[in-house]
Amino acid sequence: MKPELLPVIGPARFRSPILLASGTCGYGLEILEAGALEGAGGLVTKATTLEPREGNRPPRIAETEYGLLNSIGLANPGVEAVIEKVLPRLEGFPCPVIVNVAGDTAGEFAEVVSRLESSGVHCGYELNVSCPNVENGGMAFGVLPRLVEEITRLARSRTARLLSVKLTPNGGDILEAAAAAEAGGADAVTVCNTFLGMKIDWRTGTAALSRGTGGYSSPALLPLVVARVWQVSRRVGIPVIASGGAWTAEAVLELMSAGARAVQVGTRVLRDPFAPARIHAKLLELVSE
Amino acid sequence: MTDCDASVKAVEQVGPGIFRIVLLAPGTARESLPGQFLMIEASPGPFPLLRRPFTVSSADRAGGTLELLFRVTGGGTGALSRLSRGDSVRVLGPLGRGWPVSDGRWLLVGGGMGAAGFPFLASRLGPHDILLGAGNAASLAWTPPGALLATEDGSAGTKGLVTCLLDRIDPFSYERIAVCGPVAMMRAVVAALPPGVRASTLVSLESRMACGWGVCGGCAVPASGGGFLRCCADGPVFEASELDWDRIEEAAP
Ligand SMILES: Cc1cc2nc3c(=O)[nH]c(=O)nc-3n(C[C@H](O)[C@H](O)[C@H](O)COP(=O)(O)OP(=O)(O)OC[C@H]3O[C@@H](n4cnc5c(N)ncnc54)[C@H](O)[C@@H]3O)c2cc1C
Ligand SMILES: Cc1cc2nc3c(=O)[nH]c(=O)nc-3n(C[C@H](O)[C@H](O)[C@H](O)COP(=O)(O)O)c2cc1C
Ligand code: FES
Repeated sequence: MKPELLPVIGPARFRSPILLASGTCGYGLEILEAGALEGAGGLVTKATTLEPREGNRPPRIAETEYGLLNSIGLANPGVEAVIEKVLPRLEGFPCPVIVNVAGDTAGEFAEVVSRLESSGVHCGYELNVSCPNVENGGMAFGVLPRLVEEITRLARSRTARLLSVKLTPNGGDILEAAAAAEAGGADAVTVCNTFLGMKIDWRTGTAALSRGTGGYSSPALLPLVVARVWQVSRRVGIPVIASGGAWTAEAVLELMSAGARAVQVGTRVLRDPFAPARIHAKLLELVSE
Repeated sequence: MTDCDASVKAVEQVGPGIFRIVLLAPGTARESLPGQFLMIEASPGPFPLLRRPFTVSSADRAGGTLELLFRVTGGGTGALSRLSRGDSVRVLGPLGRGWPVSDGRWLLVGGGMGAAGFPFLASRLGPHDILLGAGNAASLAWTPPGALLATEDGSAGTKGLVTCLLDRIDPFSYERIAVCGPVAMMRAVVAALPPGVRASTLVSLESRMACGWGVCGGCAVPASGGGFLRCCADGPVFEASELDWDRIEEAAP
């Protein structure tokens, strides 16, 4: 396989196939200050919602023997503060920035996208349809293809920028959801968000996270994501962005072999903010062999 | 914030399950300030997945070394305790907001491993008094001359909790009161201090951390005005008045 090292996805062009995943690099300010953006092709921000969100009560994270559970609860300052206070600080950011968008209703997603159109700083959007949909009883939007298509179509009507729909591996049929995103006009799908997980202390019966369940990430999930990327990229004609289990350059190349045009690195960057440069250097070395 | 390969100079047991590790990391040693912490990779392999946070216990700028004092409580600290001279570990830091060192007189109140960062703080302070508490004499990780001690079993100093030493000082004679220890201990100390000195009281908190550098939101601690602060980036040293002490236990690791 000869991977594309400067991937183009929809109207956006990235500096490398390695993207920083949503929720693991904030809005990019800390990693910019650390000078750790070398190797990163692009960056996906923390989920942004219409109103500010405090996030869930602690404990919000729990480490397991082989992974990390999180239930941050989409903590963010809200779209207005992002437009006024955050995005201006990202002017001239060294790599393209994608804003991750979340909401409780389809209308909220579209409204957040509409408002963000007033800023020229970011190159596109990633719709996080893995969050619970309040209008439909709290089930994740992503498990219902009809809703995925509706959200995508509404958001598409508000922007010509890159639009990727981030799918959930939890429940529903990810292939149907991917096809629905394509039908709604998405430029790409991101496969996939964290896997639903839970940790319980069997001695006391108490859950480690305040909300009980959370999203599980781990390099051990790589084969599960490789399989989903492989299946989805055979089902849809739009590019697939892989997310999940990418810890090394070899994992990035494996996900690209499965059909991904770009690969997000998440939990690895939490542990090692300078990982993108190392992974990228190794990737270049491996592909030139 | 830099990420460096530190070389282990020494690891020694200094108490029951308590270890002291000396790392050669000249850049990090030069930059570190009292109250800041480091995220240490307990193992070069992927597991344990996250780094472990440790307060800088002392930093020798000239010699380029850093010292940590830690208690073994699980896999990560266990792995660190088994390192030996010549091994190397990755060290991310220095991280967080440390103590606002000033010239006036300070009172340091430490409980158990909470005193781990005090040697560094004390070395940069002018006049100061120290109150330390622990379960027993052996668990006092640091016993500088002149410190007032309290142990639960009475094996060193006064028998009881560190709060019983507060009667022996004049809380109004300090510019700053710095408290670090288990959440219940810090809450008790803050509650025992007269309201007039609350404004000058500082605490150093612990919480579960995934990143340690401000991006994940995992380390949320309840803020007095509602909402949350990030322990790693807004702290770990806070003005006692910034925190919601009624909800603080939620955030305890
Ligand atoms: C800012 C800060 C400074 C610290 N400084 C020191 C120090 O100087 N000396 C010292 O002995 N300890 C210190 N700690 C606590 C130390 O980080 C934990 O004891 C250590 O992470 C436990 O890891 P483990 O793998 O051995 O334990 P495990 O119990 O196996 O860890 C499981 C998970 O829980 C987390 N965890 C467990 N206990 C704590 C805790 N008390 N605080 C935060 N996370 C925890 C771990 O990081 C890990 O993710 C500090 C914590 C923080 C947040
Ligand atoms: C602490 C944390 C916060 C996250 N927050 C978000 C988020 O706000 N929006 C989102 O779409 N995904 C979020 N994710 C999921 C990641 O973007 C990524 O899809 C997932 O962690 C899998 O990739 P990884 O194995 O490389 O970590 C979060 C993950 C973690 C660990
Ligand atoms: S530990 Fe990640 S924000 Fe504090």
